[in-house]
Formats: sequence, C-alpha cells, structure tokens
Amino acid sequence: MTAETQSTSGTTESTEAEGHGGGGLPQLRFEQWGGQIFWLLIIFAVLYLALSRIFTPRLRGVIDERARTISEAVETARTVQAEALDQARTAEAELAEARARSQRVAAEARAKSVAESAERGAVEDAKVAERVAAAEAEIRKARDAAMGNVSGIAQDITAAIVAKLTGAPASAAEIKAALAGREGTR
Amino acid sequence: MADPMHQFQVEKLFDLPTVNLPLVGAIDLSITNSSLAMAVAAGLVMLFFTFVTANPKVVPGRLQVVGEGVFSFIDDLAVSIIGKEGRAFFPFVFTLFLFILAMNFLGLFLVFTATSQLAVTVTFGLMTIGLVVVVGLFRNGLGFFKLFLPSGVPWYLWWLVVPIEVISFVLRPVTLALRLFGNMLGGHVALKVFAGFVISLGALAAGGGLGLLAIPAAILSLGGVVALTALEFLVAFLQAFVFAVLTCVYLNDAVHAGHH
Repeated sequence: MTAETQSTSGTTESTEAEGHGGGGLPQLRFEQWGGQIFWLLIIFAVLYLALSRIFTPRLRGVIDERARTISEAVETARTVQAEALDQARTAEAELAEARARSQRVAAEARAKSVAESAERGAVEDAKVAERVAAAEAEIRKARDAAMGNVSGIAQDITAAIVAKLTGAPASAAEIKAALAGREGTR
Repeated sequence: MADPMHQFQVEKLFDLPTVNLPLVGAIDLSITNSSLAMAVAAGLVMLFFTFVTANPKVVPGRLQVVGEGVFSFIDDLAVSIIGKEGRAFFPFVFTLFLFILAMNFLGLFLVFTATSQLAVTVTFGLMTIGLVVVVGLFRNGLGFFKLFLPSGVPWYLWWLVVPIEVISFVLRPVTLALRLFGNMLGGHVALKVFAGFVISLGALAAGGGLGLLAIPAAILSLGGVVALTALEFLVAFLQAFVFAVLTCVYLNDAVHAGHH
C-alpha cells in the first residue's frame, strides 16, 4: 500500500501541494464537494431504483411464497393427522363393537347348548326312570310270586312234617293259622 | 513515512466538463476515485442481488440465504421500529444500508473509502432528514411541528423545551454525517499510521546495530494493524447498521409525530 501511495504521490504532487496548502483535511476542500455529491445522488438513485423496483419485489415474492408453501404444508399435515385420528377412533369403536357382538354370540351359544343338553338329559332321565320303574315292577311281581310259592311250600312242608311227627295229617286251615301266627309274631 | 491523510485525497481519473449552476456555483463533473468507489460499491450490491435473485427457490441455496438474510434483517428493523408503515420506507433504508456497507467494506479492500468523505456523509445525512421532513409534513401537515412539543410538558416550560427539541432535530443530520465520517476517517488513519510504523521500524532494523531493537516494535505494530483491520470490519458493519437504525427512528418520528 505504501509503495502504491508513494508512486501516486509523485504524479499528483501539484494537486497535493494545492490541497495541503492549509494543512487541513482533504475532505474539507469544498471545490470537490459538488462532483462527489452529484455522482453520489445519481448512483444512489440508480441503486434505489434497482433495489426497490427489481430486487425487493423478487425477494419479497420468494419469501412470501415460502411462507405460503410452509403454511399450506402444515395445514395439509394437520388435516391428514385429524383424518388419521378420526379413522383410528372409528376403527377402535368398530373393534369394540365386534368384540361385544362376539361375546354376545358366544354367550348365546353357550346358553343354547346348556339348555339343549339339559333337555336331552331330561329325556334320557325319563327313559331310564321308566325302564327302572318297569324293572322294579317286574322284580316286585317276581318277589310276590316267589313269596306266594314260599308260603305254599311252607304249608306243604308243615303238613308233611306234622304228618310225619304225629302220624295224623293236620287240616289245611290249622296249618295256615299256625303259619299266620308265626308270621305275626315275627 | 507516508502521509496518513493522503488516502483521503480526491483525484481526477477521467476529465468531464465543469458545470456552472446558478445558486451552487461551479461543479466539476469529472470522474474521481471517490465517484468510482461509489459506483463500484453500488455495482457490487446490484451484482450480488442479481445473483441472489437470478434463480430464486423456495428452498434457498447458500447465496440466497445470505441475500434473504440481509433483506429480512433490514425489513424486520424497519417494521419493528416504524411499524406497519415501515414497509413503505424499506427500500430507502435498505438502499442506504447496503450502499454505506458496501462503501465501508470497499475502503478496507481498496485504497479509497467514499464514506470517509464529508461530502458523502453530509449528503446522506441531509437526504435522510429531508425525507423525514417531507414525510412528516405530508403525513401530519402542520401537526408535524408537535414533534418539537412533547406531550405532557406544562405550558410554562415550553420556552425551554421547544428550543431544545428544535436544536436536537437540527443536529440530527449533523450527527448522522459526522458519526459515519469520524468513524471511517479515524479507523483508516489509525490503520495507516500503524502500517507506517511497520515500514519505518523495519527500515530502522535493516540498518543493523542498535536498530535491530526496533524489530519487536515492528512486530507489535503489525499485530496492531491486524487487530485494527478486524475491528474496522466490525465498525464498517456497525456504522452502516447505526445509520439504518437512526434513519428508521427519525422516520418513525415523522410518521407518528402526533403521539411523540
């Protein structure tokens, strides 16, 4: 930098001598203000027009578009989420209903099978009871018959014993009375 | 040692005729290093935004992020200070900020700093305050002058408050111009002085003997130049930012003059 300033200071010796005549700041040489202000205003105006007419609308457009895109995406995501939540809730409700229905069906089936088996059991029981009753009646009849035979045999035996012991046969009525009395004492 | 003020010398690069205006006097329209620096700064800004907006995408690339970042930075600034009406002044503040920023940065890369010229900063200051006055009068009519009479001041203090407010308003363009000018001038003079130390102390050391003792001082100066350059980058941004913020604050006064 110093080399550069030294080289230029050689060529601008005259202006420097003129400018540093008072030893003041170069910035206070008012004859140079007009040109600087003129160019500054023109360049500022050009820059202002470029920025305000071209670049600001472009940048604002991009930024607004981005904000719109983001808000749209967020909105979509929110809708989709709400939908998903809705569907999940519906599915849950359906599941609960299905479970309740299956439980009801199972309970019904169980009750039906219990009733059927009870009915069938009752029929079987009745059949068995009938057969048991018939068998019992037969047994009773056989026993009565047997018992009837027993008393006949006892009379015969008694008559035979009496005849053998006494030599004289006892009458049938006497034997019967004796047997009845014996039976009565028992 | 090179004259540290030499860098502020305005030199003609291309001769153009001198125009005589009735009230202002003679204006030399020649292209100078000052006007060239302004043009390069403005050209770089336009080039940058041409690239940024050449193929704008909803999902931005790196350059677009930077461009939109600068845009949103000033946009938020204008809206947060001025309110909804800030959008109308955004292009002006944006142009001011970018132009000053570009000229400040150019001064750190090239030889000439246009914002270290009082003519430039005074023009910016007058432009800003001129816009404030025009907007204030246009929006509020004579109500704009309520700016000089803050509400809540009892009538017997008017004679004291009104002159203070008027003076502070008149000083606004002056402070705008001098703040930018002073920061740029001071920073570049300091840079030049420290850089000059490096050369002259180095020359002393080259003489050998006791002059070798100058080497640590030269290294220290070089470190100072490096540190100052970093600081100057911060100042370059900060001054452009401060100018933009104050422009917004003054414009806010003009827009909302009634409720000050």
